[in-house]
Amino acid sequence: MKTEAKLWVRLKVTDLVAQTAWMTLTDKMGFAGDLCGILRYSYWAMEAEGESAGAVCEAIDREIRMDSAFTNQNKHFYSLAVSGGGDEAASGDLRIDRDFPRGECGGRIFACDLFVSEQGGGKDGGYASRLNTRLAGAKVTGIRSGEVWRILVRAEDAEEATRKVEEMAGTRSRKHGLLLNPHYQAFEFIGTTEIDGKQRSAP
Amino acid sequence: MARSFIGKVAIIQFPGVNCEYETVDAVRSVGLGADLLRWNEDPALLEDALGVIVPGGFSYQDRIRAGVVSAKDHIMDKLSELAADGRPILGICNGAQVLVESGFIPGIHWERVDLALAPNVMEDREGYYCAWIHLLHGGTDCVWTSAIGNEEVVPVPIAHAEGRFTTDDVKVLEEMKKNRQIVLRYCTQAGRIDPSFPTNPNGSLENMAGVCNREGNVLAMMPHPERASWLRQVSEDLGGGWGMKRRKAGGDAGKMEAAGPGRIFFESLKIWKEGGE
Repeated sequence: MKTEAKLWVRLKVTDLVAQTAWMTLTDKMGFAGDLCGILRYSYWAMEAEGESAGAVCEAIDREIRMDSAFTNQNKHFYSLAVSGGGDEAASGDLRIDRDFPRGECGGRIFACDLFVSEQGGGKDGGYASRLNTRLAGAKVTGIRSGEVWRILVRAEDAEEATRKVEEMAGTRSRKHGLLLNPHYQAFEFIGTTEIDGKQRSAP
Repeated sequence: MARSFIGKVAIIQFPGVNCEYETVDAVRSVGLGADLLRWNEDPALLEDALGVIVPGGFSYQDRIRAGVVSAKDHIMDKLSELAADGRPILGICNGAQVLVESGFIPGIHWERVDLALAPNVMEDREGYYCAWIHLLHGGTDCVWTSAIGNEEVVPVPIAHAEGRFTTDDVKVLEEMKKNRQIVLRYCTQAGRIDPSFPTNPNGSLENMAGVCNREGNVLAMMPHPERASWLRQVSEDLGGGWGMKRRKAGGDAGKMEAAGPGRIFFESLKIWKEGGE
């Protein structure tokens, strides 16, 4: 059976890279009025074959827990979700649908998930062969890896939210864009959700 | 007494750089004045500086992407002004990443980011790579390479993980070539351009190791000339004339203090200064 697996990993401690992005965007680039918070994840989107979503989830989970190229239990939270054939399975200690930076921010808030990857696939092939070398009961047939920036912005609607995040993302000039260099990186939005204050839980 | 950079080279000390003191010494070794300027000091201090060097290291710990956070710093407004005015500016390694992320290099469209220094692409390995390489000099008249002969080969060490010059804009590359802005290219000891590893140590497009702006006053180079400014810094294993000179000087402390191959970049600045006096 063909399944899709998504692995999100983030630091348990304060992420200084995300903090630096926050400070650069607010203090140096004029986004203080728009930006409400940032989290950063390592992210893998996989296509995998196995008996069922549950079996694939169990097989991948067993490997990523033991391989620090994916997670290190001492320093990472993670979320693994597998779906396929009308079935779903999940593991990990991170509730990705409820993982938002904590803080006060008025108005309508949207969480935009910006997936940044290296053009040409970067390390994707290496991750796939690394998993397949030891994976029992499943086979990874495709993988895309990179970083996801979960960016909370104040906006009137989802369209405005993604437009603001696009302005923060691709570096076009010295004063515009920060999170990726379009000459070797690509980005796409993999989710935009309106949230309310109660959902904001992460440190 | 107030600090002054009149007639001196200012070495910008961003948080996380680690080559600033060697760079000061290398500039002073050719008889020019040099001092450090912290990134958060008054940029007006640079007004009468002879030139500016953004040194190597890991500014802001390479967070987000090497050089990009420094590129957004307030002091870069002043560097932009000075560069546009023709003041010599050199970015070494992390400094080169800062200049590229600032859009000073290639500078065809001023402050537009037309290049990237992407992660190294190497045969059978990934990440940080440290080695002596050879540079072939050519191209436009550049303040920082004016003492180097055309087609002359200069050995200098590299040490980086993100040094692959690349662009997805074919027109920019064509324009750079037309303007002869690629002044330093990775080559063999004999001066042959070979795009494969290890001659091209990071997979750089067109073997680019150093790119100058059209006007010739701003240079971004990944190799470290300040780590090759004395003979004692040269590897004993290096081939060619410089390696031979180094081996012959072994055991003689006086001879080891002679100039190394990287000093020529700082001598170039001195020549430019003397030409203007």
